[in-house]
Amino acid sequence: MAEITETMGNESSPSEENRNENSERSNFDNKTMRKSKPGLKRLALTLTVFFSFLLGLPWLLKSIEIYRSPLPFRDIDSLSNAIDSNPFLFPCKFHAVFVNFEHSTPIKQNAEQLGFLVSSHMLQLADGNSFCGTCESKYTVSVSLDSGNGCVEYEDADRGRAWRCGALSEFKFDETVKNDEVLDEYLESVVGRRGRVYTVVVVNAGEGYRVRAVVGKHRHAWIVGRFSEVDMLAEKVAEMFVKIFVGGAKEEGAMQGEFMPVGADGKIVLSFNLLNADPRDWIYDWDFKEVDEKVLSPTLEALGPIANISVESQVLYHTPKSSYSYWDVEVESHIFSTKDLPFFVNSNEWHLDTSIAAGGRSKILQFVVYIPSANECPLRLQLPNGEISMTNAFISPTWGGVVVLNPPNCLGNANSMHPLRRKVSPQELNQIFEVFMGQLRQLFGLKSTGFYKGASGSSILLASERGFTEWELDVLARQHACFNLRQCGTTLGSLSRLVQSLPRMIIKDEIGKQVSYKRCTVIGCLQSSILTRSNYPDIWRACAT
Amino acid sequence: MMNRKRDNFFSRFILTIITVITVSLSCSFVHFSHAASSDSSSVHTNNWAVLVCTSRFWFNYRHMANTLSLYRTVKRLGIPDERIILMLADDMACNARNKYPAQVFNNENHRLNLYGDNVEVDYRGYEVTVENFLRVLTGRHENAVPRSKRLLSDEGSHILLYMTGHGGDEFLKFQDADELQSHDLADAVKQMKEKRRFKELLIMVDTCQAATLFSQLHSPGVLAIGSSMKGENSYSHHLDSDVGVSVVDRFTFYTLAFFERLNMYDNASLSSLFSSYNPNLLLSTAYYRTDLYQQQMEKVPVTNFFGSVMETIHTGSAYRGVSGKDSNRAKFEVSSDQSYDRDAKSITTSSDPEKQVDHPGIKAVKSGTCPHADLWNMIVEKVQRIKDVDSIVNYGFVGLLTLVAVSTWHSS
Repeated sequence: MAEITETMGNESSPSEENRNENSERSNFDNKTMRKSKPGLKRLALTLTVFFSFLLGLPWLLKSIEIYRSPLPFRDIDSLSNAIDSNPFLFPCKFHAVFVNFEHSTPIKQNAEQLGFLVSSHMLQLADGNSFCGTCESKYTVSVSLDSGNGCVEYEDADRGRAWRCGALSEFKFDETVKNDEVLDEYLESVVGRRGRVYTVVVVNAGEGYRVRAVVGKHRHAWIVGRFSEVDMLAEKVAEMFVKIFVGGAKEEGAMQGEFMPVGADGKIVLSFNLLNADPRDWIYDWDFKEVDEKVLSPTLEALGPIANISVESQVLYHTPKSSYSYWDVEVESHIFSTKDLPFFVNSNEWHLDTSIAAGGRSKILQFVVYIPSANECPLRLQLPNGEISMTNAFISPTWGGVVVLNPPNCLGNANSMHPLRRKVSPQELNQIFEVFMGQLRQLFGLKSTGFYKGASGSSILLASERGFTEWELDVLARQHACFNLRQCGTTLGSLSRLVQSLPRMIIKDEIGKQVSYKRCTVIGCLQSSILTRSNYPDIWRACAT
Repeated sequence: MMNRKRDNFFSRFILTIITVITVSLSCSFVHFSHAASSDSSSVHTNNWAVLVCTSRFWFNYRHMANTLSLYRTVKRLGIPDERIILMLADDMACNARNKYPAQVFNNENHRLNLYGDNVEVDYRGYEVTVENFLRVLTGRHENAVPRSKRLLSDEGSHILLYMTGHGGDEFLKFQDADELQSHDLADAVKQMKEKRRFKELLIMVDTCQAATLFSQLHSPGVLAIGSSMKGENSYSHHLDSDVGVSVVDRFTFYTLAFFERLNMYDNASLSSLFSSYNPNLLLSTAYYRTDLYQQQMEKVPVTNFFGSVMETIHTGSAYRGVSGKDSNRAKFEVSSDQSYDRDAKSITTSSDPEKQVDHPGIKAVKSGTCPHADLWNMIVEKVQRIKDVDSIVNYGFVGLLTLVAVSTWHSS
């Protein structure tokens, strides 16, 4: 049986093979199967599909792209680096006039040597000066020598005839203030119309005159007196140029205008507040409109190129202060000291921030007149050296200032039953506003003492009825323009850094347009100011961000 | 055999393409690391406080009590309302379940009514959102937002940022609807630093796992303290059985206990505040990070952040000359003729050696690190300079379609 099966198996296997071959042959379908291995054609097809996918890749990526308006990052970075590393320096022109020097032989130098002497002294003095808004360090001083026999001039090529010969020949110099103002106006008519040049006129007077230096309200100053040494004279002139006209007559170590109190939108709101601490004792009111028209408007107009200033005023009641005072028998008044000043402003009860006109980004400066209550009257401020303050006022930088006004005769005033309604008298109001003007200048970084004490002697600074003299306005405009440019540079730089570090942030088109506009404005402004050497308010207006 | 060779060749070709692409991509990452400019030159001018309570609903009474207690402390020590941004859901005092209407307490002895007088809430109810919070911090508001809702700090401000609510690992929950993540907060602080909106910043967080919320900070000048570390909870202090809910959290309770001993004139230091937290009483570890803060904490008084600082300068003199007097000025009459000609010479535009506007070329890549970096950068520059990307994409699309058409026709 096994043999049969074996032979049957042997017989069946070839037949199975035959059957398999047949089935294979019959299963082979020419239409869908192939015998040969795939060759070049398939390779070409695969590669074509692959490359078509590669071609379509940008379309795919674009569909998932986040829209970022293209910002000029490299340009922004380079601009902000340039602004940071090179401090912006303004071109300043100086002119020194020496009158009546023929008679004294030591000063028989020629104009050119005098010019070099003055500018070398200026370079020495300006070594430490590197704050924002200084003048260029290559000082060019043009000199005019006016003696009885005619004028000699040494000047730069691009200036016209500077000094009118014999202009001061008939002027009588005496040391009164009125004479100062007259001379100031006269000098303004002589030298004032030539553009922005700072002038110092040195007059050699006869015997009996001591050296007296006065800085006028415009852009000139004069020194009158008897001079023996050329070097000292040149040093004094140089000091007037560098320390007063360029530096703004600030003392060493003072804050160099880091906090210009101007808001980001170029506006300041001055808020004047009259505070009645206890209206049960007395109620004060003031005639603000009048003093606003007479006193404030000229000042605000003068400050126009720097900031757009608006004024508000209000009267508040029930506003006690939050610091303490003690009764001093000697002075017969209640005393508060400078240590109490940080705690004087009682922010809980003084609702000073009720301005409706101030936008979100403008700066508000508060000026407060504080009228104490009857049990704290008169209230006086004692300085650390023991003296009583003449002004009874203080400021807080970037916040504003406070003046304490004591009602007259408050010691002798017996308790009156009715709250008296009174008005602040015009004289007191004028006094208060003189103090406010001093405080406003202090907030801008300028002193109001009326004189400047330098290494080579002191100079008298004339006060202007507009609150700021023209050379002070120049200093402020320079500082403000420089500060704004720096701000612009850092803002653009930080914006570009921030945007580059957030790669998936959407940047809309408006932002791109604004950035390129700002950048172009800044660059154009820098170029134009350097090329045209134009006046500072124009620069400031062009660069206002 | 030929086909296998072609397959091998093909696969190797694809591999080489992929490796080339990855190598050049990895070499093209160049980091511009600009150090943020340190402004240690600015003077401390004012203090601001941003107090945020991120919870609502009656059972989160204690969070609102926390925030109001800190508000009261900060006001008592001198920061005015105009410099406080208070964000509260403000639904406790007049809640129907409040047995003492219009009163909010933080202690079961009910000694102090926190809602009593002079509470000025800037963002209340549903305005307390993550978006508004980040807008407050970065200062980017719509034009119509009033000043009282803006953080108007400058580069001399010290800011106290206090947040309380329910939090977790690297997040803080805002009113059950939003989340503030730690990297969002870190980004906002970085933007604030870039825009010079603060000189120093103190962040206090009283939530569960509070320390994780400021773990991502990297801006200088920031000091942060949290009530608990990662994995720990922050607990409430006690339950007021009369009101029916817990009225204060432990961390805030001990903070207030520290401040109740102070008045405006004191100068207790920050380190004394931070060391007054006892982990056994808090039942968690109050963790603070000082690595971003340059000052020494023993020397910094707490009033630098919690109190009011006004730098004051005495006004030495008034400015006379502004009295508006219209006096008659005697003009000095000059006898000689006034007319003199001024030749207005045109100002020559001489080349100024101090032209500020040169653009120094910035070298982007330090060559030598990657072999293909220069080539890649050239390609990247060329691609970046292409202004009209759309047309190129369209051309590519058309090419793609034609290729697809060709290949389908070829294969059929």
